[in-house]
Amino acid sequence: MAGVRQIAITGVTAGLCLPLALFAIILVPIPGLPAASGFWIPAGFYFVMTLWFGVWGALGGHIATVLAMGYFSGYTLQVWADGGLGDLIAPLVALAIFKAMGARPTLERKKDKVAWIVAVPIASLVCGLWVHTVNLLFGVITWPFWWIGVVTYLVGDSLAVFIVGTPLLKALTNYVKQSPMYIWRD
Amino acid sequence: MRTFFLHVEEKSPLLRAHPALKILALLVVNLLAWILEAPIFLLALLTALLISYRAFGIPLSRMARFLVFAGLIAQAVMVSYLLGSKIPGRVTYLVLPWGSYVTDMTLLYSLTMILRFVSMLVGSTLILAVMRDVDIVYGLKSFGLPYSLSFAFSLAFRLSSLFLEDFKMVKDAMLLRGAKLDKGGILERARNYSRMGVPLTVIAVRRMNELSYVLEAKGFASSRKRSYLYEFKWNSLGICAALFLVGLVALALLLRLSTDLVTFPGWPLV
Repeated sequence: MAGVRQIAITGVTAGLCLPLALFAIILVPIPGLPAASGFWIPAGFYFVMTLWFGVWGALGGHIATVLAMGYFSGYTLQVWADGGLGDLIAPLVALAIFKAMGARPTLERKKDKVAWIVAVPIASLVCGLWVHTVNLLFGVITWPFWWIGVVTYLVGDSLAVFIVGTPLLKALTNYVKQSPMYIWRD
Repeated sequence: MRTFFLHVEEKSPLLRAHPALKILALLVVNLLAWILEAPIFLLALLTALLISYRAFGIPLSRMARFLVFAGLIAQAVMVSYLLGSKIPGRVTYLVLPWGSYVTDMTLLYSLTMILRFVSMLVGSTLILAVMRDVDIVYGLKSFGLPYSLSFAFSLAFRLSSLFLEDFKMVKDAMLLRGAKLDKGGILERARNYSRMGVPLTVIAVRRMNELSYVLEAKGFASSRKRSYLYEFKWNSLGICAALFLVGLVALALLLRLSTDLVTFPGWPLV
């Protein structure tokens, strides 16, 4: 059940990621794909928020993505199931990999760095597979474009998460550790 | 009256509908467009939705901004099907070197997919035109979602404008320190802007802590029984409308699973 801390995490993460998502769509649009961006800036933030604060950070990213994508392409079931759910799944996959590997978001030990390098592409791949399978199911793309979509998604999303997320984890994890909402206890 | 993203006249009967009915209608419109695959049925659905704008007093001109998005989706669908599909038809117009081909059915199928998305867009916009933020919160709660989640949703709206202010403040501070945010190509600029992430995240984490203390101090707890400012009651018309909408989805599903009527190319082309 959600307590006040969880509500604060979800609401603030969504509030932070929403303008960044709108900004990403305007700054690096992908011609032909409405509400898509070649550099999904908010991903870097909600990946990090999920690694720090758990599922509720991912939920904040999900709300932000649905609202921002919907603003540019209409609030339809397809947009919700597509990017919205995909962006909920991706950070959760990264969190699961960190838990499974016993890594920490401080990125201090070799194990943490390996987990980060492994988790981001895997999470982006899972998200890419989800997003383009939904696109396929809704009839927006065909099989040959499914592959192109998945590969470009994997590269584009991983790049954004590494560029935006890595400095955040390195610079701020020790600061965030002081927060009672931080989920990792050594 | 100001709704989710529009100003609509208060006389629209949809405005007074139960929030749960509005959310149900939003789901049904999208599900119907997804289940139906026959162009004639999708065309009928789209026509019915366009007529509904008139019937419910929603100005169709409000759809204008979405025409651009519909156009973008349409061209993405056309490119994907013209270059990457193998749908057999009576006439083959073009065979591409990588094995895919364009037939009369390719064109019909891609138009059907465009009709599907446009129906979702037109239908969702119709419902969202009469939906207020109160409807979203109370509607989600009516469907059994915890109030705390609905509250987080409305917080996202309120906080996004605050973060836009923070974004401007951090940007000005970085420019004053000599940062060149708009230097380089698109990716380089994106990287420059992403450096604003650290101060923005510090602000976000502080805000999270403060917000949780404030909510706790105000006695906001999901486990407690709470009272609500608004009370929405179901009337007989609302119940009939809800049953009709659920019945429509059930009928469409039944037809999809047991006949070829609504499966592409569907009636009357079967």
